[in-house]
Amino acid sequence: MSHSVLVCDDAIFMRTMISDILAQAGFEIVGEAETGSQAVEKYRQLKPDLVTMDIVMPDMGGIDAVREIVKNDPDAKILMCSAMGQQALVVEAIQAGAKDFVVKPFQPSRVLEAVQRVLG
Amino acid sequence: MDLSQYAELFLAESREHLSACNQLLLEWERRPAAPEPVGGIFRAVHTVKGMAATMGYARVADLAHRMENLLDHLRRGGQPPADDIIQLLFRATDALEKAVDLAVAGRERDADVAGVAADLDRAMARLAPDKPREEHEVVAAPPPDVGGGGRLIQVVLRPEAQIKGGRAMLIIRKAQSLGAVQGIAPSPAAFEAEDFDGRFAFRLDSARTVAEIEAAVRSVGDVERVTTSGGEGDDERMAPAEGGAAGGAGRSRHIRVDLRRLDSLMDLIGELVTTRGRLNDLASERKDPAIDDVAIQVSRLSADLQAEIIQARMTPVWQVFDRFPRLVRDVARQLDKQVAFKVEGKEIELDRAILDELGDPLVHLLRNAVDHGIEAPAERKKRGKKPEGEIVLSAVRERSSVAISITDDGRGIDRAQVLAKALREGLVEPHTESLSDDQLLRVLARPGFSTATQVTNVSGRGVGIDVAMTKIRALGGSIEIRTQPGKGTSFVLRLPVTLAIVRALIAAVGTERYALPLTYVAETAEFGAIAMTTMEGREAMVLHDRVVPLVHLRNLLSVVGDAPAPRRPVIVLEMGERRTGVVVDGMLGQQEIVVKGFEAPQGTLPVFSGATIMGDGVPALILDAAGLL
Repeated sequence: MSHSVLVCDDAIFMRTMISDILAQAGFEIVGEAETGSQAVEKYRQLKPDLVTMDIVMPDMGGIDAVREIVKNDPDAKILMCSAMGQQALVVEAIQAGAKDFVVKPFQPSRVLEAVQRVLG
Repeated sequence: MDLSQYAELFLAESREHLSACNQLLLEWERRPAAPEPVGGIFRAVHTVKGMAATMGYARVADLAHRMENLLDHLRRGGQPPADDIIQLLFRATDALEKAVDLAVAGRERDADVAGVAADLDRAMARLAPDKPREEHEVVAAPPPDVGGGGRLIQVVLRPEAQIKGGRAMLIIRKAQSLGAVQGIAPSPAAFEAEDFDGRFAFRLDSARTVAEIEAAVRSVGDVERVTTSGGEGDDERMAPAEGGAAGGAGRSRHIRVDLRRLDSLMDLIGELVTTRGRLNDLASERKDPAIDDVAIQVSRLSADLQAEIIQARMTPVWQVFDRFPRLVRDVARQLDKQVAFKVEGKEIELDRAILDELGDPLVHLLRNAVDHGIEAPAERKKRGKKPEGEIVLSAVRERSSVAISITDDGRGIDRAQVLAKALREGLVEPHTESLSDDQLLRVLARPGFSTATQVTNVSGRGVGIDVAMTKIRALGGSIEIRTQPGKGTSFVLRLPVTLAIVRALIAAVGTERYALPLTYVAETAEFGAIAMTTMEGREAMVLHDRVVPLVHLRNLLSVVGDAPAPRRPVIVLEMGERRTGVVVDGMLGQQEIVVKGFEAPQGTLPVFSGATIMGDGVPALILDAAGLL
């Protein structure tokens, strides 16, 4: 059975691209979220195998969303999507419980490698 | 990976974010102490940066990155920004917008961002002189000699690894899953620094074998070298495997569709509607109930389909209006005027094709309002007005049209001055003593007519109202003007809600058929059965106690042939306050028509707005209500 993914990013562009990369690799995109609070809510509803999480989002940011999700599900597999120059935020996200990260601009191969690592 | 397929999406979304940037900058400029705008601007620019980098648009990403640096600093500082910083951010937003457009057009190299990028860096250096810049020397390697029990693990990350601190943190976390970690050097705080060079060490007290530990560290990725020394031991256990399953609900319910696809859908449905008309005609000839049934069903289905597609094309006006606050501000600034700009009815929807065409005319009218309408602050004070003028842009849905008005509380249009100039140029009958609103508009809309005593680079070049008017008319709309000296001017644009398919009355004149869009048809009456009078020397009828001037289509179109019946239909057109009765030979009923663009041959009367194909395949001209009024 293919792994289910929740894609969280405030940009439709990014969501589309990540979804395309993952869908082409056989993942099932079960939901999308535009804000951190939506991500938390959708995670609760959908219980996806994997979450891709943008760091900077309106309303609730990605790191707070990671904290919320991990609080309820310590095994949550969250892959952070970061831009260059967000070193400190990435470190913070990992301390909050994110399992790995990829750096924009995305190379599909690197995204898939990271996904494989997160899913073990 | 083929990125071109994402270019449109990138463009559309970047524009949204940049439009948001402009809105927020305006808000920030008004209230520099407010903390909210900068966060929003930062996020918008950040998003554009990420998308641009993904598309491989290096200049766009670089400019966004510099803006982001400055914004991040401002965001953290919490201090109200100086005005020149806001102006710089406006300029940078413009440059970014231009760079985005050029990049998508495949001409990123033409984007000139160096100047504004340098200004951003200078501003940054001024605001945060001590803040480390992009490049600087690499911090020395961490001391490998860390104390504590267990094995000493030394890790060097690949030089090309991105966000090395994040990777290092992941390795630490991985190690923690194997045993107790201590003596991390440099301290994890150093991982957060941009200049962390990817070399670190820690002690791990674990029962795992060296091979297992090193494999675990490498599995995190981006590891160039890992060395283990000291300690001993070996053992069991594997990382827990993953199980995969989940529900499939909760997909997002919006997709983006290429506009061209909607256009071609609309064209196809247009053809379908025409074909449906032919089917209906055939069915009524055959008088076969079975064919009638099918024809009725096809009619219903295609009507539903058409309604759906028209709805899909509807776009809220804010998509065009949102850039106007910035425009009005810029123009006002340039002219040293104070203007409060209000937008009402942002959510009103129009066909995308109409909305796209509306931008230019509105830009022109808004510039005019600031330049010619609103007085300078000193002059306003002298007249007992607030120094700050007001311009309201509003959209209101009417019966089957949308009225968009631009109203200023400025000086109004000087009719005497316009009249004098119009008389001089022979635009009105000699001895005309005053101009009605309609006449005024007609004079103002003469190509090249301008009353601006000085040509500014904002407006007053004498092009404009005529161009705006032509465009609005081509869209099947109309412009009205109302102006009062000292109180202000209001332009009202009326537009059909959708372009492509309209319901029309089909009228016969001579041997031809003409279509009159129902949008502007108020009612019908019967010529020859109704009281007649005259109005300003023109033939008119009295309808509901109002005098309505008449136009005989027969005369207007110079139709010869048999005299028409003494009693014949009058179609009453209405646009705003104005009404006109159009006398035709006969009425053939209502029908949906597919509007086709129409290049009027030279010398054609300006009363046609397009053409359509009737059910029998014969073309008919569409009468332009605005032209007849």
